Amino acid sequence: MTTDNPNLIESVTPCSGQYSLKKDLVLNAWLLVAVIIYVVILFVLKRFPTWTPLLRGSIALLPLIPGLLYVRSWLKFVRGLDELQRRIQTEAFLFAALGTLVLGIIVDTLSEQGVKIAIALHGLGFGGVVMGVFALWLVGGAIAQGRYK
Amino acid sequence: MKNQVRELRTLKEWSQQELAERLAVSRQTINAIETEKYDPSLPLAFKIARLFKQPIEKIFGA
Repeated sequence: MTTDNPNLIESVTPCSGQYSLKKDLVLNAWLLVAVIIYVVILFVLKRFPTWTPLLRGSIALLPLIPGLLYVRSWLKFVRGLDELQRRIQTEAFLFAALGTLVLGIIVDTLSEQGVKIAIALHGLGFGGVVMGVFALWLVGGAIAQGRYK
Repeated sequence: MKNQVRELRTLKEWSQQELAERLAVSRQTINAIETEKYDPSLPLAFKIARLFKQPIEKIFGA
């Protein structure tokens, strides 16, 4: 599928020569909103420790709403990509998702056996998973870009 | 898949960027098609054929 004006991944990649701050802001605006809400919520929950767990849990999950909108804006962006770039991004995301799954299994297995580094990685929790996905997305993207250069 | 895109583009004296803009794809896509690292989708292949006014099977052959 082609569009009249395909999105380019370079337009949201700083230092790519085709970077557009406006496009980057449009794409990542909901992430910014999610981070701001998250910071405010951290402050609020610290200030009111007597609130019920249900209320605290509901408030703590609020960043999920802009988070889902952020996912939606990325899906729309990827759908509007030029067909080769869409393939590259799909390969990169698949690499990241499956790579994180494999790494997760390895870390989990090793930490169960008492391997210190694995226990430390396990301690990173969900933040570690997000970092893993991001790092592997960069690697997967570089591999896929290299294939079609 | 072998193709004649580079030859046809050169005949028209278009740059890869120019052809990319006419087809509304990235320059990287044109380069990948010309170097036969990427086979275009059917809609894009038809678009290329229409642009060069050639039958699709003449541009893309095994």
